[in-house]
Amino acid sequence: MSTIEATNLTKTFGSFTAVRDVDMSVGEGEVVCLLGPSGCGKTTTLRMIAGLESVTEGEVKIGGRVMNKLPPEKRDIAMVFQFYALYPSVSIGGNIEMPLYHLGLSAEERRQEVARVAEILQLGEVLERLPGQLSEGEKQRAAVARAIVRDPNCFLFDEPLSRLDVEQRHSMRGQIKEVLSGLSKATVIVTHDQMEALTMANRIAIMRDGMIEQIGTPHEVFSQPRNVFVAGFIGSPKMNLLDGRLLTVKDGKATIELGADSVVFPVPAAAEALVESHLTIGIRPRALEPVDSPSERSLTGQVELIEPMGAETLVHVRDEDERDLRVVLPRERKVKPGEVLHLACDLTQTHIFDDSGLAVR
Amino acid sequence: MSATDKKSLAERLGLKVYSGVGNAGWGRTLFAAVISFIYFFPVFWIILTAFKTHNDALAIPPKFIFSPTFENFVAVFSRAYSAGAAAQDTGFALYFFNSVFIAGTSVLLALAIGTLAAFGFSRYPLRGNDTYLFIILTTRMLPAIVVIIPIFLMFRVAGLSGTYIGVILLYTAFNLPFTIWMMKSFFDELSPDVEDAARIDGSSDRRVFFKICLPQVKAGLAATAVFGLILTWNEFLFALLLTGVDTRTVPVAMAQTIGGDIGVRWGLLAAIETLFLIPVIVVTFMLQNHLLRGVTFGTIKR
Amino acid sequence: MMKVWEVYPLRVAFLSIPAALLISAVAITLLPPSVSFWVSGAVFVFSAFLFVAYAWGRHAGGLLVAPAIALLFIMNIFPLLWSFGLSFFHYRANRLAPPRFAGLHYYEKVLTDPVVWDRLQVTAQLVVLTVSLQMIVGFLLAMLFAKQFPLRRVLLILVLTPMMLSFVAVGAFFRYYYEPTFGLLSQAVRVFTGEPFVLLQSTAGAIAGIVFADAWMWSPFVMLLVLAGLVSVPKYLYEAASIDRISHWRRFWNITFPYVRSLLMLALLFRTIEAFKLFDVVFLLTEGGPGTSTETIAVYVYRVSFQYFKTSESAALAYILLFTVIVLTNLYLYFANQRNRT
Ligand SMILES: Nc1ncnc2c1ncn2[C@@H]1O[C@H](COP(=O)(O)OP(=O)(O)OP(=O)(O)O)[C@@H](O)[C@H]1O
Ligand SMILES: [Mg+2]
Repeated sequence: MSTIEATNLTKTFGSFTAVRDVDMSVGEGEVVCLLGPSGCGKTTTLRMIAGLESVTEGEVKIGGRVMNKLPPEKRDIAMVFQFYALYPSVSIGGNIEMPLYHLGLSAEERRQEVARVAEILQLGEVLERLPGQLSEGEKQRAAVARAIVRDPNCFLFDEPLSRLDVEQRHSMRGQIKEVLSGLSKATVIVTHDQMEALTMANRIAIMRDGMIEQIGTPHEVFSQPRNVFVAGFIGSPKMNLLDGRLLTVKDGKATIELGADSVVFPVPAAAEALVESHLTIGIRPRALEPVDSPSERSLTGQVELIEPMGAETLVHVRDEDERDLRVVLPRERKVKPGEVLHLACDLTQTHIFDDSGLAVR
Repeated sequence: MSATDKKSLAERLGLKVYSGVGNAGWGRTLFAAVISFIYFFPVFWIILTAFKTHNDALAIPPKFIFSPTFENFVAVFSRAYSAGAAAQDTGFALYFFNSVFIAGTSVLLALAIGTLAAFGFSRYPLRGNDTYLFIILTTRMLPAIVVIIPIFLMFRVAGLSGTYIGVILLYTAFNLPFTIWMMKSFFDELSPDVEDAARIDGSSDRRVFFKICLPQVKAGLAATAVFGLILTWNEFLFALLLTGVDTRTVPVAMAQTIGGDIGVRWGLLAAIETLFLIPVIVVTFMLQNHLLRGVTFGTIKR
Repeated sequence: MMKVWEVYPLRVAFLSIPAALLISAVAITLLPPSVSFWVSGAVFVFSAFLFVAYAWGRHAGGLLVAPAIALLFIMNIFPLLWSFGLSFFHYRANRLAPPRFAGLHYYEKVLTDPVVWDRLQVTAQLVVLTVSLQMIVGFLLAMLFAKQFPLRRVLLILVLTPMMLSFVAVGAFFRYYYEPTFGLLSQAVRVFTGEPFVLLQSTAGAIAGIVFADAWMWSPFVMLLVLAGLVSVPKYLYEAASIDRISHWRRFWNITFPYVRSLLMLALLFRTIEAFKLFDVVFLLTEGGPGTSTETIAVYVYRVSFQYFKTSESAALAYILLFTVIVLTNLYLYFANQRNRT
C-alpha cells in the first residue's frame, strides 16, 4: 500500500517555527502539490516526510507505518531533489543504477532496468556521460529516472522543474505526469509555480508561513478559496481584492460600499451577521465585463494600462478611489487608455471574505 | 520531548551517523577528544616538562604528578651559566622579539608582494605564464642547502649577513612561491562578472583590486599567512647561518641551549618551546575558520 | 630620433638577460667577489628596469609581477645560477684559492659515486614509509573531523600543533622520548618486558623512530588538505545517497573520494617533495646513524658542503637532486592531469 499521512507535523529551528501543524494525507496513486511562496516551509515538510529532517512534533506515516524514527534508508522512498543531486563523478547510467544495488539484482538485471527507464525518459544517448556534461533538461530527466527506476513506497519531488525553461518545463510536466499515472504511488510535488500545480496535481495544498491554508482539488482551490490569501495566490492574473463595507442585507442580497461605488450582491445567509463590518470582495479579472451603462452591480473606472497577453488582453482600470482593477478582455475588444469603462461583475465568480480574511459561505 | 530525539546508543556515541552528514553530537566529541589527546600527547609532555625541575624531568618512572615550578620559565630569560655564578640575562627576550619581527614582517611582505604578483599572473597572463609559474615553484623544491652557500657568500659580500634586512628579504623570497601559487588559484576562481561590472561602472583598476577582489580572497590570505608563518617561524638552517648575535631567532638559540656539559636541560628547552608555540597557536586559532575554506578554495580545482 | 628601446623594446629587454648573465659570469671569474657582486647586481637591476620600462603603461601585469620576480631573482634564482656555475669549477668555500674550471668532472664523480646511490636508497626508503604513513594517518584524522561536533575547533587545534613545533624541538624531544633510560618509550616498554628499550641503536629502529616523528609532525598537514576536500562535498549528495539506500562503502568511493582525490594528490606531491629534502629531523634525531644507515641525501649534501667543504661537489649533487625532483614532479603532474581529463 502506498500512502503518505502527516498529522500535526511541526518543525522548529531554534525558536523559529518553519512548519506548523501540517495535516495532509496522500492516497494511493494520488498526486498532491505543495504550493506556496518562497520560504513557507514546503521543502522542510517534504524533507520531514523523507526523513532528512527530524520531526519536532507530529507523525509521519508511510504505507500505514509510523516512520518518525526511521532514517531515509528505511523509508523506501524515491525523491527528486531541487538541484538534482546527481553524483558528479558517476556516469548517468551509474547514477540511475545506484538505487538498484540495495535490491541485490545481478549486473545484467540492473542494466536492463536502467535501459528501461532510459527509454521512458529518452536518456539512451547520454548514459555514458557525466552529469557535468548534460543540459539542464537532461539532468532533470536523469534525476527523475533515478527516482522511478525502482519500486518505492512513494515519490517526493522538490521543485522538479524550477530550473528548466518554459518549453522544457511544459514537456517535462507532461512526461512526469504520464510516468506517475502508470505507477499508482502516493506522490508529493513541491512547487511554487501554480500552473504546474494545477496541471499535475490531484489535490493542491497551499502553504503560507509554515501552515496549510487550504487543501483541495485544483477546481476547489480555484473556485472556492477558503481565505483571502488563497484567493490572491491562485489564479492568474491575480484576483482583484477590494476593501468594502457591508451596508445592508435584504432578501439574501447585500449592498456593499466599495469606495465611491455601491454594488448589490447575492450573499449567503451567514453574511447577515456581518452588517456594518469591513470585508473584502474578491473578483477574478475574467469575471468583469464591460457594459454600456452603470448598474447596481458594476464598477466604474478609467483605462490606464493595457498589456496584451496573446489571445486576451489584460487591462488595468483605475477607479475613482485610485484602486487598480485588473480586467481580462477578449482580444477583439479594443480599449484605449483614458477610456471610461463600466464593469459588471459576474456574481457567481465573486467571493466575499470577512474582516479576518475567511471566506463567507 | 519529541519522538525523534530518542536515539540508539550507537547514534548517541556518534558512531552511527543518522543521515551521513552534519552534526555528530557529543559522542563524536568524546571519541575525537581521546584520539586528539593521544595525538597531542608528545606536545603535552613538552608542556608538562616545562613545569618540572631537572630531576623531575629525568625521573624514572616518568612523573605525571609533581609540584610545578616556574623556574624554567625564569631561566629562559635569565640564569646562571655556572653553579654559584650570578644570574645573567640570556638574551632570549631579544630572540623572541627577533622571531616575531622577522617572521611577522617577512610573512606580511610576502603576502603583499605575492598577492600583487598573483593578481598580475591571474589577470594579465604573459606569454609563457605557466613556465614562469613553474620556475617560481621550482625554487621551493630544492634543498635549502643548495642555495645556502651562494647566499652566504653573497650576504657576506654585500654586508647583509647578521642584519634584519637580509634575513627578512630572504624569508620573504622563501615565502613568495607558495604565496603566489596559492593566491593565484584564488584569483583564478573569482567570477570575472563582478569585476567587469565594476569596471563598466567606472572604477579604476586599483579600486577593483582593493575593493572587489581582495575582500573575496580573505580566506586565502588567512590560510597562506598561517602556512607561511608556521614555516618561517620555525625555519632553522638559514637562520643558523645568516643571523648574527643581535638578530638570532629562537630556533637557533634553542639549538644552542641543547649543547652543554651537564647534558640537555630538558625543562629549559621545554619552557622555550612552550613559549615559542603560543603565538602560532593563537594566530592559527584566530584564523582557523578561514583556514579550511582557504585550502579548499585555493586548490580544489587544481 | 627614435631610441632603440622604443623601436624594439621587448627584444632589448630580452637580450638584456643573456647579456647580464654573460657580464656577471665574466665579472665573477675575473674580479674579486666584493666587486663582482655589485657589478652583477647592477646588471640584473638594469635588465629588470628594462622590463619595467617596457611594461609601463602597456602591461599592468608586468608591473604587478615585477617586485616579486626581482626579489626571487636576487634571493633564489641568482644564488641558484651561482651554485650552478660553481658546480663546473673546482672550488672550496673555506679556501681562498680562486675557482678553477673543472667541466663536468663533479657531475661524473657524483653520478658514479656508490655512496650517493646508497644515500638515495635510504632517502627513498624513508620517503615511501613516512609519506604513506602520513597519508593514512592524515586521512583517518580528517575522517574523524569531517563532521560538526561540539568543541571541534579546540580539538582540531590540538591535532594541528605538531605541525607548528619547531624542528629543533621535535628532534630534541623525540630523542628525549626514545632515550633508553628515562625516555617515555623505553619506560613504557619496560612495563611489559622488564628491560630498557633501545630504539635508535638498530637500523630498523632508527628508521622507525625517524618515520614516526616525521609522520607525527606532518600528518596534520595532510589532514588539513583532506579535510578541506571532505567538507566541500555538498550535503545533498549524501542525502540523495541515503534516499537511494547506497551502502557506506559505495558512498565513500562514488561520492566522498572524488572530492578528496585532487587534494590527496596535492598533499602527496607536497609531502613527497618535502620528505625528499628530509634533513632537520634526521640530523637532530640520529645524525644519520647508526653508521650511515639513516643518512638521507639531504644530510649527505650538508656533510659534503659544510663538513668536508667540497662546495663544487655538493653543488653538482644538489643540481642532480633538483633535476630529479623536477622530472618526477612533472611526470606526476602529467599523470594526474591525464587521469583528471579522462
Ligand atoms: N536548517 C535550517 N535552519 C534554520 N532555518 C531554516 C532551516 N531550513 C529552513 N529554514 C527556514 O525555514 C523556512 C522554510 O524553509 P523551506 O526551505 O521549507 O522553504 P520553501 O517553502 O521550500 O521555500 P522555497 O520555495 O524558497 O524553496 C525558511 O524561512 C527558512 O529560512
Ligand atoms: Mg524549497
